Formats: sequence, C-alpha cells, structure tokens
Amino acid sequence: MTEPIDLSDTEQEESLVVSDLLVEDVSIDGMCGVY
Amino acid sequence: MPVLERAWELAPGVAVRPEPFGALLYHFGTRRLSFVKDTQLLAVVEHLADSPSARAACEAVGVDATSMPSFERAIARLAETQMIRERHR
Amino acid sequence: MTTATRLVDHFERGLDAPICLTWELTYACNLACRHCLSSSGRRDPGELHTREAMAVIDELERMQVFYVNIGGGEPTIRPDFWELLDYATEHHVGVKFSTNGSRITREIASRLSTNDYVDVQISLDGATPVVNDAVRGDGSYATAIQAMEHLAEAGIRGFKLSVVCTSDNIRQLDEFDSIATRYGAQLRLTRLRPSGRGADVWEELHPSAEQQRQLYHWLLEHGDRVLTGDSFFHLAAYGEALPGLNLCGAGRVVCLIDPVGDVYACPFAIHDAFRAGNVREDGGFARIWRDSELFRSYREPQSGGACASCGAYDKCRGGCMAAKFFTGLPLDGPDPECVFGHGERALAAVESGAAPRSSVDHSRRSVAVAIRKSPARLCDENPLVGVDAGAPAQP
Repeated sequence: MTEPIDLSDTEQEESLVVSDLLVEDVSIDGMCGVY
Repeated sequence: MPVLERAWELAPGVAVRPEPFGALLYHFGTRRLSFVKDTQLLAVVEHLADSPSARAACEAVGVDATSMPSFERAIARLAETQMIRERHR
Repeated sequence: MTTATRLVDHFERGLDAPICLTWELTYACNLACRHCLSSSGRRDPGELHTREAMAVIDELERMQVFYVNIGGGEPTIRPDFWELLDYATEHHVGVKFSTNGSRITREIASRLSTNDYVDVQISLDGATPVVNDAVRGDGSYATAIQAMEHLAEAGIRGFKLSVVCTSDNIRQLDEFDSIATRYGAQLRLTRLRPSGRGADVWEELHPSAEQQRQLYHWLLEHGDRVLTGDSFFHLAAYGEALPGLNLCGAGRVVCLIDPVGDVYACPFAIHDAFRAGNVREDGGFARIWRDSELFRSYREPQSGGACASCGAYDKCRGGCMAAKFFTGLPLDGPDPECVFGHGERALAAVESGAAPRSSVDHSRRSVAVAIRKSPARLCDENPLVGVDAGAPAQP
C-alpha cells in the first residue's frame, strides 16, 4: 500500500494563491479522452 | 513599465471563445489553453487593442479600484503565456 | 471582486462545445496492434463519406472546437485524408493526427512542414524493435523511425512521439526520451486502457503497482516537457497532481466521433453503454453534444460512490470510467489501478469472463501482418480497395 505524499504548508499556500488568479492555463493535451 | 500602463493586443494565432463563465483562449502556436474565469476580464481582453493602456481598458469596462491588482496579475499571466503581446504606439 | 471557482469545477459541468475531440476517420488499418483501443483492421462499409466528413468539420468550426485529434485505424490510408486535413485547417479547426508512420514519406513530410495548424503524432510502444514489434508487428518500429527521420529532415520540430505505457516498456522511459530528442519530437506517454483489443492483453501488459509508481515519479521529474494527455490523473492520489485538468473529460470537454459517425464519450469507451448518438441524425454533432441524455448525465454532479469516503477522491476522482467498465468493475467504485490497491481487491470479486466486450470490432481475422515499405498490391492494406467511395451508405 502506498502512502500519499503530503503537500508542505508552503506548497498548499502557493496553490491557493495560484487559484485566486482570474486566468488558469492548461496544455491542449491536458484533457483526458483524446489519444 | 508596469503591466497596467502598457498597451496590449491579442497575439496572432490566438482564438477567443466566450463562455458563460468568461472565456477560453487557445494559442495555436503554443497549444496552450487559457481559461479566463471572469466575464469582466474577457471584456478587458476584448478592449485591449483599442485602449492606450491595460488600465484604460479596465476602466472602460468598469473594473473597480479594489479589483485592479487582481486584473493586473491576470494580464501579466496572459502576457507570460503569450496570449497577448505588447503593442507599440 | 468576483470569486473565481476552480477550472475543474466549470469543466465538470460541461461546456457548450468540446474543447477538442478525437475523430477516428476509418477502422481500416495496415497494422494489427495487439492492444488497439478501437479494434481496428477492416474498413467499415458505413464510414462517413468525404462530404459528410466536411459537414462535421463545418459544425466543429461553428462550435469553435479548437482542434481535432484525427486517428483510426490508420487515418492516412483513407484516400481523402489529405483533402480533409486541408479542409479542417482552412476552416479554423486545428488538427493533430495520430499515425503509425507508414505514409509519412519525404514528400508528405515536406508538405506538412508548410501547414502551421497541423501537428503529427507518431505511435511507438517500444524504444527497441523487439519490444515495439511484439505489440505493433514486425517492421513497425522501422516504419515509425523512418517517419520521424522524414519529419525531422523536413524541419518539423515538436511533432509528437506517443507511447502507450506497458509492463514491457516502462523500463525504457529514458530511451524513449532520447529518441524524441534525437528527432526533435516531444515525448508523450499515455495510459494503456483495457479497451478494444486492449482487453485481451490487459493482464499481460498493464503496469504493475511498482511500475506505476516508477512511472509517476519519472513523470514528476520530466512533467514540464513530457505530455500525457492527462491520462494518468488516477495517479494524483499519490500526492502531487501531474500537469493537466486531472479529471475525466468524457462528455464534458472531449468526446469521440467514430468512422461511421457514432459519437461516444471517449475513444476508450467504444461500447453501446457510452454511445450518445450519430452525427447523421437530425441536429448533427451539435445536438448530440448539447442535448444527448448520456452526455447530460456526465454533467450532473457526480457522487464518489464507494470512493467518496477515501481522502484521495478529490484528487483522483475515482479514476477512468473505461478502465473500470472493461475490467468488469462498477463505475462508482475504484479504478482497477487505484494506487492504494482498492481496485485490485475489487477485481478479485469480478467473475471470470464477466467483463463487458464491445460488439464494435473491425479486427482482421489474419494473424500479425508484416509491414513492407510499400505494399506489393494496394489491397494488401485496404481490403476494400476499388469499392466506390461515392456509393450511398448502406441503410
């Protein structure tokens, strides 16, 4: 059984800051269901 | 010069698709998708080419002072990802 | 100040049009890969004609679908492939096509280098001929390498080298990376699903838990350069998510159009249970995308089912629908490759032979086909060569 890796407090903070941004980016290859 | 004081325009090869929540921007060159999570931000993007500065575009669509920093970050991000490019007057 | 929800939350409710989609142009194929997700081989007599395909492209343009991933079978063996490619790009629909490379001559590569809206994806499933050809057939490695040479010589940079990760090739990840670098390509690693003929080789070829963990760490290290088609979102349960939306896009942001115009939730789900309609019906593709019962159901809020109480559900979203379905697992439970082993335990309860099989099967009866550079006769590749492509479709 694999233990999940916990995000450090800093990483959690950073991801919160990023998600406040009014723009989010992803690669066009970043959607599942396209081969 | 700060992002808000510069003049911008949509980069060539970028398609804009309005959505109920804002818009999807797709750059055919970089193959990156930007998800604009705010309808007012879409309006700003659409005004950029005709405005002397990003700040002017924001004011034209009614962005209030408290929201400016958030819009500034968003415009900076769009520039970083090459969705918009600087326009030289 | 407006509050911005997560991108994932918006996409889960579906969009008015797909962002991109897979379009399999033909079930004909000159190869007979053991794991083929679409069970391709023989052309279907009911495949969309050129004019019908153009009508689909017109719809995609109106809906502002950004790009289509064209595949098959082997799409380049359709006589109208190049015409359709040009039609799509002229109508503002970007194209990435997936190919085994057998038709990527120097001339074709040169022609492709002039179109900014086309991307090429070469399939390869082993970094060495022995490993690759065991899955894709004798000579297929050489064919793929030659195609990449032609693309590189034509100055095309950043074309895709796409690999399906298996128990045989996960040890070759660094070598795949070298091959991609050598030809100026971008490496793409994708998940093997038990779909199509994949169901027959799943036990043998799907990665072990340990290999999956190795793959995950390799992707974390190289993730900024290597694409995955978001196919490993189930691995987000390990902790850090890989780049991508990290959710199942089926019926929400992507779908499949198959060679006869059937619309499925995704290319890994070619089965009646995932069929939303046919583009030949009134309202075409747009009506199906927006209004089909099946796709509407995907856009409802999903409960986690048996996974809801798991702390990792928010990250892995219960994994891949197709992987669950074709291994006989319930859709509201764990993925067969759940990183905590919940799927493996659930599989033990599935009766032998109980896993569903699709009735859509275009596999050729004959055994593995050897690839020659050019066929001795055209009908070696296309069993229906000479059939009038303009003839009306069968009712």
